[in-house]
Amino acid sequence: MWASASFVGVLIIIGVPLWWKTTEVYRVALPYDKINAFDPMSHFISSELTVLANDDKTAQDIAKQIEKAFEQSDVIKLKIKKQVLSKELQHILDSVADEQEALEEVAATFNTNIHNTFYVVQRKPLFKDVWVGTERVAFFRDVKAAPTLVEALVHWIYEPSVLNGARSETADPARQIRFPSGPGFHVVLSVVHPKPQLMKVDFNARDAVEDYIGSFVDEISDLHNFTLKSQWLHLLEFNFEAKEVTDSPGDRHFAVRQDRLPLLLTRLEERAATHVSERPTLNLALYVVPCDTAPLVLYDADNKRVSSPVQAFMSPKWGGVVLGNPTQQECQEKLYKPNVNLIMGTFLSQLRKLLGITDKRAVGGARLEALRRAAPRRWERDALLRLRALEQLASAQASLASLAELLGEISNIVINDEVGASINLAVDSIQRAGQLLERGDLLEAHKYAQQGFLAAETAFMEPSLLALLYFPDDQKYAIYIPLFLPIMFPVVLSLKNLILWFRGKPVHKEKID
Amino acid sequence: MFKSGIFNIFLTLLIQIKGDDFKEEIFIKPLPPSHLYVDFHFITLVNGEESFEHSYLAPRSLGEIMSRYQVDELHLTLTEGQWKHNQWGYPVLDAAPGAELYAWFNTDVIDVDIQWKKLSSTLSGLFCASLNFIETFNTITPKMSLWPTGAQKPKQNYTSQLRYASLPREIVCTENLTPWKKLLPCESTHGFSSLLNSRMIHNTNYHSIGVHVRRMCVDNNCLETNLEIKQTVALVYDFKIINSMDWSFRKLFGQGLPGACPLSSSSKIYVDTTSNSTYRFKLTPEPNLILLSQRGGSETELAVYNINNSIMMNIVAKYETKSKLFVNIPPPLSFTRYVLGYGKEFGGIVTELTNNYWAPIDVVLLENAPWWLPIQLSSLRVNGEAESKLILSQYYSPGRSRQKPYHLELLLHLPPKSTTTLTIDFEFVFLKWQEYPPDANHGFYIGSALISANLPTAKNYTSLPITGNTFDSIVNASKPWYPMVFRTNGAMVSLPTPDFSMPYNVICLACTVVALAFGPLNNICTKELVLKAPGTSISLRQKILNMFKKKKD
Repeated sequence: MWASASFVGVLIIIGVPLWWKTTEVYRVALPYDKINAFDPMSHFISSELTVLANDDKTAQDIAKQIEKAFEQSDVIKLKIKKQVLSKELQHILDSVADEQEALEEVAATFNTNIHNTFYVVQRKPLFKDVWVGTERVAFFRDVKAAPTLVEALVHWIYEPSVLNGARSETADPARQIRFPSGPGFHVVLSVVHPKPQLMKVDFNARDAVEDYIGSFVDEISDLHNFTLKSQWLHLLEFNFEAKEVTDSPGDRHFAVRQDRLPLLLTRLEERAATHVSERPTLNLALYVVPCDTAPLVLYDADNKRVSSPVQAFMSPKWGGVVLGNPTQQECQEKLYKPNVNLIMGTFLSQLRKLLGITDKRAVGGARLEALRRAAPRRWERDALLRLRALEQLASAQASLASLAELLGEISNIVINDEVGASINLAVDSIQRAGQLLERGDLLEAHKYAQQGFLAAETAFMEPSLLALLYFPDDQKYAIYIPLFLPIMFPVVLSLKNLILWFRGKPVHKEKID
Repeated sequence: MFKSGIFNIFLTLLIQIKGDDFKEEIFIKPLPPSHLYVDFHFITLVNGEESFEHSYLAPRSLGEIMSRYQVDELHLTLTEGQWKHNQWGYPVLDAAPGAELYAWFNTDVIDVDIQWKKLSSTLSGLFCASLNFIETFNTITPKMSLWPTGAQKPKQNYTSQLRYASLPREIVCTENLTPWKKLLPCESTHGFSSLLNSRMIHNTNYHSIGVHVRRMCVDNNCLETNLEIKQTVALVYDFKIINSMDWSFRKLFGQGLPGACPLSSSSKIYVDTTSNSTYRFKLTPEPNLILLSQRGGSETELAVYNINNSIMMNIVAKYETKSKLFVNIPPPLSFTRYVLGYGKEFGGIVTELTNNYWAPIDVVLLENAPWWLPIQLSSLRVNGEAESKLILSQYYSPGRSRQKPYHLELLLHLPPKSTTTLTIDFEFVFLKWQEYPPDANHGFYIGSALISANLPTAKNYTSLPITGNTFDSIVNASKPWYPMVFRTNGAMVSLPTPDFSMPYNVICLACTVVALAFGPLNNICTKELVLKAPGTSISLRQKILNMFKKKKD
């Protein structure tokens, strides 16, 4: 019996745990409870709004209406302050002719440079009910302007629906267009010149990129790093299958159907060399239309001519293309001078959308001051920070959650110390960013959200996770079965006798001759 | 008036900013009696120091790689076939069979090895070549044989910033040519590059595509530098393959030349007609210019075609005498390499260097053996002697298993009209079963040895002078020395290769043996014989068992 017991001792008590330990997949302990408790929809952002009115009652009324409008929103919580304008400032605001001057006056008394703040200021001599400019200030005329003001705040300044889209799993229209969050982007302007032998193009791509795009991206350097690049792609010909349309004798244009345009992107992608850069690339392409098909005009899906001074189109999450149409005179002179202002302006408007600044829809009774410079409006930057912070937070949580789920499903994924550290960092950053958002500290919150997002991405994309993934079970059993089956069989069967023996019962019931 | 003056100045400034320059050239040299050498050069000169972000004619992808990894000079060649120096003379740029990559990193780069790994992986993606197999165990830092060809800052240690690797097993084909063509401003639609039809150019004895990037001085003062990106294609056609000695563009490339690239500032074709005196051939159409070049005691006659239109043309050479005895006059320096030994234990590499010239030639020989082929310095013999006066200087860095290759460099003094034989022994190493490449029984390639020589004569020498970037720079370019880096032929050894299903068989067999042995052992140890009294009743089970036992008896 002792022999039998020692076999069991060696094989089962020592052998099995040893085998278990040595074939175990290495995994660092992970904060599963925290990851499972993640709920992207629970995050909200606090924001400060100050109502400045000429008298106490107006301030009260306006504040109440705004409060009522944002009561339902769980993504943005407004902290509304009320204040009565000093008589002096009131007088100045009512007397200055220009809104821009009025802005300066407000900025002299109140600090409009702080992120995540907004001022709603009463100013009697307004042509419309509400006026919104580039600063963090909106003017309104009187109490009657309250509904318009609320609408402007909802659709322009805070955009709770877009924020909601950023944190939810289903993509809203704005998210379908803009690039996913990332630490940085390359912006590449490609000047496509299909027939350099027939025409010269006088366009300085370097200056255009650095002047126009540069001054735009400098303003949002808090969000992403940008590198600006330009290149010329010569002899890249593309058949638009354009149809010649004669408008009047001697005046013609070439019509391009919308469904041809994706094919142009494929051609561009072949040569644009976007794959060598380590970061995502925002492509801006100026296609110089050869003279024999100029001017090219885009037709939309309903076969209607797109009427705009610049023929351009945008591909979501890829970039934008502007068609440079040389005039007949330029074709004769064989020198095309593109209108840099117009073209770069078009690229900028595409870039704004690609980076997440939404197009502002018209609100009746409210006036949105047109952009005069390349830089985005200040409150747009705040909106972008809110959006990106929330988006990165949600994305980091989603990747951690799916990683945790994968780990539950697939048992041989290795989690080494490095991956474990970045998962822990991601979890901590997400929590910290969430708290900061609730407090309304936008810049810090974005920083932590980005850190968490990057850590979660690196953990999820780490190739070491897959180190043991290709170790199929059938091969494992091909080795285990011939080895373990014949050995374990007698050992396991002898267990019965052993147990009887331990209980002190007679063992030898059956006798063998 | 004033305004237009300002505009003119502005315009010239503009042109200077995008002052990239692109040139294309073809050099054709008949290699009698049976071959034809065709060498394409595409040269892009990029103005200024930092125009990587904004490119006009230069490929942005390459510029991006150069600036991201801070590479000062880069040479990449992908070659199929072996250049026969003894028969064909010297090529413009020699290349090792397979893939060869070497680069000098900027002196600001501290960890060169990491940058080197990243560079090779990125180039691997760019050219669809297996350059990602370049690791520390097949990379060396040559001390004497390679020197930067571009402008360099004085008094800086460039040698430590150099990395060299070759992959002799790499097979070069269309998938490498297509991305290579994309780097050209005219791609393959216009100009000389439209001749590079992969169906025709891979049907040659030797083809090599290359990318060479270096910094060049703008003028003699060298205060400013230009970046030169040179893309080359070298082809050696066999007259047997094209079925006649007469060649034409249509026969070589399958089509005529559709004209120059509209972006190039000069498109020229040079035909070396020196051999015309022995093997007479007639070129049609007539060349635009005949250049006579006297260089280092040898005369070269070049027929030059200036291509500047976009009319389809076809250059034809017709030989007058069809068959003739040919006496091969070997070039000043020739070499061969082969493997010695039998069995699977020891072997040796022999390198024979022949100096056919009447003056001594000093060469640097670089032997680069992978870690699985340990070469012992103690077994080095020069003409059979262990101690030789011919070795002026030597550098040896022993390899380390799976980490570092063996690297031997010798500065040799080759006496006039003599052959020097170098022998070095190696032993075969057993690899781990995962380290064998697919089709391990095919054999293992040993990379070419590098021979760096300063030739005293320009006989058979076709390379450009170091300061030149186009072909016309060879005209009358006499220099005291003609530097050249040669690659010897590679070699192949067959390592002891196991039967790869063996590990599994061993596991299965061992398990079976263990299982068979364990059963009786367990039985003997645990069962005991107990005497049974005759009268005791027998259980039903025992009855059945007894029945079986009786039957057996």
